[in-house]
Amino acid sequence: MDRRLALKQLALFTGGLMAFPSCDFSRENVLAAYEKLQVTEAQKNLLAKVVETILPGGDIVGAKELDMQDFVLVMANDCLTEEDQSRFVKGLKNFDQYIQKNFGSSFGKMDQEAAERSFMAIVDTEDGDGEVEELKYFLNTTKRFTLQGYLSSEYFMTEIMPYKMIPGGFEGQVKIDPTKKINING
Amino acid sequence: MANLNIDSIKERTFDAIVIGSGMSGGWAAKELTEKGLKTLVLERGKEVNHIKDYPTTSMFPWEFEHRGEILSDIKKENPIISRCYAFREESEHFFVKDTEHPYIQDKPFDWIRGYQTGGKSLLWARQVQRWSDLDFEGPARDGFAVDWPIRYADLAPWYSYVEKFVGVSGNKDGLSNLPDGEFLPPMELTAVERYFKDFVGGNYSGRDVIIGRCAHITGNYEYYAKQGRGLCQHRNLCVRGCPFGGYFSSNASTLPWAANTGNLTMQNNAVVHSIIYDEQKQKATGVMVIDALTKEVSEYHAPIIFLNASALNTNLILLNSKSNRFPEGLGNDNGLLGKYVAFHNYRAGISGEYEGLGEYGTSGKRPNGGYIPRFRNLHKQETNFLRGYAAGFSGNRAIETDRSGIGAELQNQLLNPKYGTWRVGSHMMGETIPKEDGQVSLDQNQTDEWEMPLLKVSVDYDQNDEDMIKDYLEQMTEMFEAAGFKNIRTRDDKRAPGLDIHEMGGVRMGHDPKTSLLNKWNQLHACKNVYVTDGACMTSTSTQNPSLTYMALAARAVDHAVKNH
Repeated sequence: MDRRLALKQLALFTGGLMAFPSCDFSRENVLAAYEKLQVTEAQKNLLAKVVETILPGGDIVGAKELDMQDFVLVMANDCLTEEDQSRFVKGLKNFDQYIQKNFGSSFGKMDQEAAERSFMAIVDTEDGDGEVEELKYFLNTTKRFTLQGYLSSEYFMTEIMPYKMIPGGFEGQVKIDPTKKINING
Repeated sequence: MANLNIDSIKERTFDAIVIGSGMSGGWAAKELTEKGLKTLVLERGKEVNHIKDYPTTSMFPWEFEHRGEILSDIKKENPIISRCYAFREESEHFFVKDTEHPYIQDKPFDWIRGYQTGGKSLLWARQVQRWSDLDFEGPARDGFAVDWPIRYADLAPWYSYVEKFVGVSGNKDGLSNLPDGEFLPPMELTAVERYFKDFVGGNYSGRDVIIGRCAHITGNYEYYAKQGRGLCQHRNLCVRGCPFGGYFSSNASTLPWAANTGNLTMQNNAVVHSIIYDEQKQKATGVMVIDALTKEVSEYHAPIIFLNASALNTNLILLNSKSNRFPEGLGNDNGLLGKYVAFHNYRAGISGEYEGLGEYGTSGKRPNGGYIPRFRNLHKQETNFLRGYAAGFSGNRAIETDRSGIGAELQNQLLNPKYGTWRVGSHMMGETIPKEDGQVSLDQNQTDEWEMPLLKVSVDYDQNDEDMIKDYLEQMTEMFEAAGFKNIRTRDDKRAPGLDIHEMGGVRMGHDPKTSLLNKWNQLHACKNVYVTDGACMTSTSTQNPSLTYMALAARAVDHAVKNH
């Protein structure tokens, strides 16, 4: 049986009187996959909206559809230093509140244009206070990881700019055909 | 019981023992087994079989969970290995982590190690430039270290012998300071490298830009098929281990070759504690080995012992091989064992851009780069510092993707990258002067998990290195400016010694047993059936990447050992 469910049932049986230190229902949605970040499903959904704002898709597949929200969290959880992780998580946790206060709507309800505008307004802020700096860090880091993951995704490296694992050779001086699209993985 | 003991001793007795299975140990093993000697190779690390144990070799970029990055926790716990350019998600299983094998830094020293079959030959940068007499005669001419007991003529046939088997791609450049070898077809220089080559050749007498000579198979494939190796496919993923055997490693080449003779016994997880010296026989009779996993101690015997444990670990083993005859370590009558350790100075680099040649780009990948052989103080002393530096030089056409903004505009930018300028870069490879106080020693108190004393490393830069860095940056800046390169940036990253992964010396060769440890055949002067043919034997460092010279010395020493024992 699922550990969390078991705890819930135990709490019900005992009339909710047992005080388990780990039985904090306000955090029941903390995602185990990103242990160090302690983020909830709702926060991941919000991140998905941020990722979608960065690369919304259309002619090409968007970042949310490629699950870049998961990649961003994996990288933040595993590859950021503790200090940067804490800035990232603070930014993520305060993001929607800040958006609501300053842009009059929750981020999740914004259309692409409004979402882009609020995103850029934050990252372009100069001399912001500590909170804004954390939000900037959160958004810039999310963008950096989104691009890293997207450009090295199977989709991008097979369908958009095919990667050849075995190029077979090397030519040091090749005349460029200006009509040909550049393949960064070519 | 008695019979059992005799059987056990028989089982543990070989014609030769090689300590270490890396670049030079693999060569010793190949040569010994080919000459019919039953040979035991002791490797302290795990088993890594060619292809089978290259877990990442065929992975696509998107199959790496962190796209190549090392986890922050690993970096935090292992700052030394994390500074190595090749320590990545794709290759981290081939590097020793700081926490696994501690050592003591009297002065900052980044010791980069690969404990597995093949050692660092899996991970090397594969550059194989020969030395010339300008290198071998350096100490005698300039009055440092001791005179090398060999000259180019002694090693030239062995360079050829090794190059043919290894497979070396290179161009016959006809330079006296960098002798040509047995070359397979060269890789191409890029358009901007060709431009700089012509510019330097036309404007600076005695300075050249050439394509690197690298241990990759670019021709004569039928010959290499006998080793089970194929042509380099230009994947440029060498550090993962190559499924084609396109570049040389012990794993792909010398060790399977040795195994095919039927004379090889390979033993992994075998930490050599010491070499056993027999005072009656006045020679070494075997080695004492600690099993890395069970910690069980056993002895192996052979009349010939090759020590190829990597430069600093070879020092450690000799220092730890104490007997009544050699209380300060095997062969250490003069107290110089562990001293005169040096390295290559890789601290400085330079980059720039070239706005010309806009109509050209490159195609494919090149696991190689351009090379500028040493031009300073070649034939006489010209500067305020001794010796000189070689340099890497590479230039590639930049492709730029505008990553500004977000949304549809950003997507459009990602789909439409543009050609930028040509980017050029160089890094120095400076010769450092071995000094008595550049040394390694055994700590008197601290031991590792196998109760081996911890190695204390005390190696540092000196004023000669600082002056050389200054000169490299001045000369390269002037050449870059004169060639019309723009946005020139210089750097001195202040890296610690060791990160060059070219540590050498401590058991140096020389004519005189009073001032050196090894003779001209790489035998310990005082214990002639022990040969040292890895980086520890080096009397001076020159500027060339040293592996080719270790391999040639190893093959030459085996030839001597078999003829004389």
